[in-house]
Amino acid sequence: MLFVSAATRAPGRAGVQQQTQPPGQPTTQQAPPPVAPPQQTSPPVPVQPVHTGPVIVLDPGHGGTDTGARGESGAIEKEVVLQYAQVVRGQLESQGFRVVMTRTDDSNPSYADRAAIANAYRDAIFISLHVSSTGPVGTARVYYYGFGSSPTGPPAATTTTASSVPLTPSSSSLIPWDQAQLPYVQTSHRLADMLQGELAQRFAGSPISASEAAVRELRSVNEPAVAVEVSSVSVPDPSPLSAMAAPLAASIARGIQAFQSAGSAGGN
Amino acid sequence: MPRNLKIVLGILGVAVLIGLISLRDLHERVRRLSENQNAEEQARREVLAPPISTPTDVNVQAKIFWAAGPDKVAPVIVELPLSADAVQRSRQVLEELISSPPTPEQRTLPADATILGFYILRDGTAIADFSDALVTETPSGISSEATTIASITGTLENNVPSLKRLKILIHGQEVDTLAGHVDLTGFFDLNPPAPQPVATPAHGDAAPAAPAPAAVTSTPPRSAEILRQLRELTLTASVGRLGFHSSCQSHVPMKGASFAS
Repeated sequence: MLFVSAATRAPGRAGVQQQTQPPGQPTTQQAPPPVAPPQQTSPPVPVQPVHTGPVIVLDPGHGGTDTGARGESGAIEKEVVLQYAQVVRGQLESQGFRVVMTRTDDSNPSYADRAAIANAYRDAIFISLHVSSTGPVGTARVYYYGFGSSPTGPPAATTTTASSVPLTPSSSSLIPWDQAQLPYVQTSHRLADMLQGELAQRFAGSPISASEAAVRELRSVNEPAVAVEVSSVSVPDPSPLSAMAAPLAASIARGIQAFQSAGSAGGN
Repeated sequence: MPRNLKIVLGILGVAVLIGLISLRDLHERVRRLSENQNAEEQARREVLAPPISTPTDVNVQAKIFWAAGPDKVAPVIVELPLSADAVQRSRQVLEELISSPPTPEQRTLPADATILGFYILRDGTAIADFSDALVTETPSGISSEATTIASITGTLENNVPSLKRLKILIHGQEVDTLAGHVDLTGFFDLNPPAPQPVATPAHGDAAPAAPAPAAVTSTPPRSAEILRQLRELTLTASVGRLGFHSSCQSHVPMKGASFAS
C-alpha cells in the first residue's frame, strides 16, 4: 500500500501559517531580505513575483482516450475542461497565484498521477474541472469528497466518511494513499461552499451550497480539493459552453481568495 | 347408409366441432399476444430478474427514491409486498427502483441494469452486485452519477434499516468509478432515518443481520477487512444465489470478534 508522509505536511498547521497573507497583494512587507533593503526606487529587479499563497493545482478531467461526456453537438468534456483550465489559469496567475496543471494537452494522467502533482506541494489547492452530460445548461456545481448518503448536502456533522479512519493523523503518521483526502474533507467542504457561492452569483440556477460526492479524482489528494462541474455538453452548439469560461475563472479566483482570507481564522 | 359410415361421419362431426371451438380459443390467444408487443421489455425483465416473492411478504408503504430534478432525489411512496428477510427485501426495493420509475425523467438507474447478487455481512455492510449496464449506461458526470448512487442508498436505508453501509460491485468485481467520476472503491454510508424506522416487519430479522449493532457502530470495520471478506464471499458466490444471507454464518468465518475488539 502506498502512503503519503504526513511528517512534513500536517494538515493545516504549516499551511495556515503561510496563508495569513492575502495573495493578491504583492508581497512588500515579507519581501525577502536578500534584496537590497533601502533601495525603494529600483523596481526593475522584477524577479518572478513571490508567490505566498497556496499553489493552485488545476485538473482538467479526462483526456486522451477517455473523452468524458460527449454531447450531440460535438462538445467533448475533455476538450472543454482543458479550455476552461487555461482560462482559469490565466485569471489566477494574473492575481499572483502560482498555478500548476495536471495536464496541458490531450493526455490522460492516472488518478494517482493527478493527486501526486498536488501532493508534491506542502500548501496547495486542488480543483478538478468537469462538464456534465445532464442538468440545466449554464449552471455549475461544486463537490467535495465523501461517501455520505444524502445528495443534497447534509449538515457537515453527519457527513462521516464511510470507513471512518482516524481523521486527525498525528504529524508523524503515514496516511494511506487511498484515504489521503479524508483529513481534509471539512476544509474542502468550506472551500467548495465558497466557490459554489461565487458560481451561484454568476450562473443563475446553480445551487447555493456545495454537495458531497465521492469524486474519484479527489480521493488521494492530500490537500483541500474540490471538483467543479459545469452543465452540460448537451448543448445544441458549444458556444454557450465557451462563454462560461470567463465567469467560471472569475468565480474560482474569488472563491479561492475568500477561502484563503478565511483560512487563517478557520483552521482545519 | 352403412353403419360404419354413420359412425365415421359422427366422429368427424364431433372433431370438426371441437376444432372450431379450440380454433376460436386459439384465435383469441393470438390476438391477445399481438396486443402485448410492448410487453417485450417486461418479458425480458422477467427472465433476467424474476419478481421476488417470499412467504413473509407483507404489503408496506415503501419509500423509493427517484430523481427529482437534475441533481436531487426524492422519495415516492409505493405500496409493495416486501419480505421480512433483509436480503430479499433489499432486492425487492432495488428491483422496484430499476423497473418502475413513475416517469422516464425520474429514472435514476438504466432499465437494463440487473441485480446479480445482494449480500449482507454480519456488521450490516451490504454488497450489491449489479450488471455491466449500470456502468455502461449511466450518463457520465458527477451530478448524474451522484444521483444514481443517492437513489440506491436512499432507497436502501429507508426500507432496510438494518443496513449500515453499501459496497457496489459490477459483475462481481470492484470497479474504479461508476461512469468516470464517482468512486465505487469505497463504502457508502447508510443512515436509516432516525425517527421510527419505517419497516416494522423487517424488525424481526434485523437481529441476525446485525447481532450487536451498538458494538459494531462504535468500531466500524476497516475497509481492508471487509474487502477480505468480500473475496471470500465471491469464492462462495454460487451459495449466494441460493440465499447466502442465511447460510453465510456457517460457510464463512466472519471474524466478528475482530470487529468488536
